[in-house]
Amino acid sequence: MNRLLSSIAALALMAGLGLAQGAGVPDNLEKLSNFQQTGVTEFTFIEQGGDYAAGIKATLEKITMPDGFKIELYAVVPDARHMAVGPQGIVTFVGTRKDKVWAVTDRNKDRIADEVKDFAPSLTFSIPNGPCFSKDGFLYIAEQNRVLLFPAAEFFYESPDVAAFNLVEKGKLIPVEEESFNHTARVCKIGPDGKIYISLGQPFNVAPAEKLDLYNEVGIGGIIRMNVDGSAREVYTYGVRNSVGHDFHPETGELWWTDNQVDGMGDDIPPGEINRQTEAGQHFGAPWYGGGSVRTAEYEGEEVPVEVVMPASETVAHAADLGMSFYTGNMFPEKYRNAIFSAQHGSWNRTTPVGARVMVTFIDDEGTATTEPFAEGWIDENGEYLGRPVDVVNLRDGSILVSDDLAGALYRISYE
Amino acid sequence: MLAGSVAHAELVGDAEAGRKLAGQCRTCHGADGYAQIPVAPHIGGEPVAYLAAQLTAFREGTRQHEMMSVVAKSLTDMQIADLAAWYGGVTAISDLPDGISADAAPSACITCHGADGLSLMQDAPNLAGENVIYIETQLKAFRTGKRRHAAMTDIAKSLTEAEMRAAAEWYAATQLTLTR
Ligand code: HEC
Ligand code: HEC
Repeated sequence: MNRLLSSIAALALMAGLGLAQGAGVPDNLEKLSNFQQTGVTEFTFIEQGGDYAAGIKATLEKITMPDGFKIELYAVVPDARHMAVGPQGIVTFVGTRKDKVWAVTDRNKDRIADEVKDFAPSLTFSIPNGPCFSKDGFLYIAEQNRVLLFPAAEFFYESPDVAAFNLVEKGKLIPVEEESFNHTARVCKIGPDGKIYISLGQPFNVAPAEKLDLYNEVGIGGIIRMNVDGSAREVYTYGVRNSVGHDFHPETGELWWTDNQVDGMGDDIPPGEINRQTEAGQHFGAPWYGGGSVRTAEYEGEEVPVEVVMPASETVAHAADLGMSFYTGNMFPEKYRNAIFSAQHGSWNRTTPVGARVMVTFIDDEGTATTEPFAEGWIDENGEYLGRPVDVVNLRDGSILVSDDLAGALYRISYE
Repeated sequence: MLAGSVAHAELVGDAEAGRKLAGQCRTCHGADGYAQIPVAPHIGGEPVAYLAAQLTAFREGTRQHEMMSVVAKSLTDMQIADLAAWYGGVTAISDLPDGISADAAPSACITCHGADGLSLMQDAPNLAGENVIYIETQLKAFRTGKRRHAAMTDIAKSLTEAEMRAAAEWYAATQLTLTR
């Protein structure tokens, strides 16, 4: 009943604003036609209570944070990856590295989700890792090799048949022959310039020389940007290995992003990176550098043919820094304002595992960035993961959400 | 390429030694071979010969993957046999989703991979419960030649994108249970 009422209310609101599904979409963008749809019209709902949730809550009791902070289970969301919170704060869309996007709703605003169901079940998704919202309520979803756009998704997600448009049609984000499963968790955000920024990881441990020309042209091993009508695509960032998190500084508008560095060089090198980009076209060193100032074995001794920007902050090797957001809320103590919250997914090839925690990066007046642990405890005494954080986003009330793709959950961290 | 791997499969592995080595695999494949990350497949209960052949292929570079090539680089033949014995010693059970009949399984695949995704031959893998994108990725790798196999290369080339997706969705929907 509740649900029915709120969706009627939403529709009435949309009608009042004179909006319809598709309103405001640039004319040149093609609406996704029926043959790409599966015809599935039923939602999959994820149970929120029960033993599974209880197990996650038990893990959360082991998580340590600075005084005054509290972590709670917000929602059970299988394979939860990057998140986008709707401008109205009603629904959070959560990507996966499989074939689903989840819509997580907190209708009664008690700061715990009431409902988790799949978004647009009639569409076929491939690695829809990266959802992002524009201020005017357009939802973008960056997949393996496509970017879709959903007008007013926050209002229309109640229907299994939501209108979808191609921002980048299937097969045009990267050449089809370059598709891979690994390093294909795309992230998008809309910049202060109104353009969409999309990360494109390169699939190798260290990219081979013969691929570099193609990669630089397409933006693989980089971050690209384009207008929200799909025009003026360009490579914004070069020399990236596999970036799976970025955000714009709330005051300077500069793009900051994390990068995952080369494996197989030993337990303690090369460092992970949080980077600061001050202008378009800067190069950050891959594949000549494996992370920080550590040179890769494959390109050892070779003169680096580009000018390289070194990371703003180096993080512990192999911890896998992924999603990040600048803190823009008012709930946390003042020192967190404009700090970066980021997730470390945790290492896979280090003798003693590191990571699986939420980090905070403070940036001082000189622009110097210092990264320290904020929430940790997801590695147990046997070195096994109890959870693996992926992304951090701001909720409207000033709390933050953290996603975890091992536990399949979203956590909410608040301060009292 | 397969000849070499058959030779390794004949080395009799020690599952207990494999269990210890599997500490370096569990973050991705789990201690019993139930995958912990989407990009990695389930390997528990796969035919021993298949496991050994794939690990050897990663080590020799005939199958390449950003993570697995790093992992397999330093494994000896004996370690490969041990790991194959450990993961191959798991029992795999597969259930079709409620209300779905085996008759609807993709007919081009069942002679080797079974209707429920449990392999019917020593050199073919289980597909049960693998996620859609993993299955699709491997089919595309066979099609483009990134991964080669006498039978699978031709089979993958004969499929349309929609057929690949449909076969992948069929096997992804089966429920895999691993027990030891
Ligand atoms: C960092 C994650 C990671 C680790 C650690 C890892 N693997 Fe893998 N493994 C993968 C991925 C990803 C694939 C899929 C490769 C591909 O797409 O071709 C894979 C594939 C395999 C396959 C082929 C399975 C098939 O169905 O074809 C085998 C066998 C395997 N791994 C065994 C192991 C063993 C044994 C170890 C430990 C010694 C190990 N892996 C460690 C990620 C990992
Ligand atoms: C004649 C037997 C045969 C048939 C029929 C067959 N396969 Fe295979 N399949 C194999 C073998 C053998 C391998 C292992 C290839 C290798 O060693 O790399 C394999 C591997 C695969 C893999 C890789 C799995 C992994 O774990 O990495 C996928 C996916 C696959 N097959 C899908 C299919 C699909 C889908 C069909 C039907 C359209 C099909 N196969 C039909 C024998 C077969």
